[in-house]
Amino acid sequence: MQNTIKVERAILNLTQDDLAKKIGVSRQTINSIEANRYVPSTVLALKLSTLFNKPVNDFFKLSDDD
Amino acid sequence: MNTEKIMNCERERLNKITNFRLPHTFWTIGIAIVTISIITMFVRAFVMEGDTEWLKEITRKGMLVGLLLMSISKDKEEDELTIKLRMQSYAFAFVVGVAYALIMPYVEFGVSNVVNSGGEAYKDLGDFQVLVFMLLIQLMSFHTLKRYR
Repeated sequence: MQNTIKVERAILNLTQDDLAKKIGVSRQTINSIEANRYVPSTVLALKLSTLFNKPVNDFFKLSDDD
Repeated sequence: MNTEKIMNCERERLNKITNFRLPHTFWTIGIAIVTISIITMFVRAFVMEGDTEWLKEITRKGMLVGLLLMSISKDKEEDELTIKLRMQSYAFAFVVGVAYALIMPYVEFGVSNVVNSGGEAYKDLGDFQVLVFMLLIQLMSFHTLKRYR
């Protein structure tokens, strides 16, 4: 799974900490998601979708090994 | 109540039990209990005289309770990633604990017979030793996983 959360966050001019507070997780969790070390739950993906005002598919993409 | 309702009720109850966590303050209480237990163990071993088996039992139980409180208390910032890491650490501790309980008696037996000829007889590990080992492995692996998340 690959994502462009870092780009979406930059568009909204948010730090990792700001984004973490907005969706109720820790800054380290955002860092792990951005680095593709952790695939978030559907609930978290939908929270991000609401915040970015975009469908989940726009910033999460399946990679070849998925 | 039909069968489906009973199953749902059981499932919800089981989820509630498995997801149970104590507030983060219990982490501090756990550390305090473990510290007091360790200090008491040293005092009993090096300072106290006479029959102190009762104190040994109390400190052992205290240490287990303290480690358990540390293990089941929430993280400062508990979220889905820390929950996943905690589950991974429990799985790892369980596997390592079983391997430890299987291998360690033979290691102890072998070492004691190599060091003194005709050393100790073979004996299984006690419950305290295995449980403390598993709890320590769980806490250490959880904090290591958290550091590298």
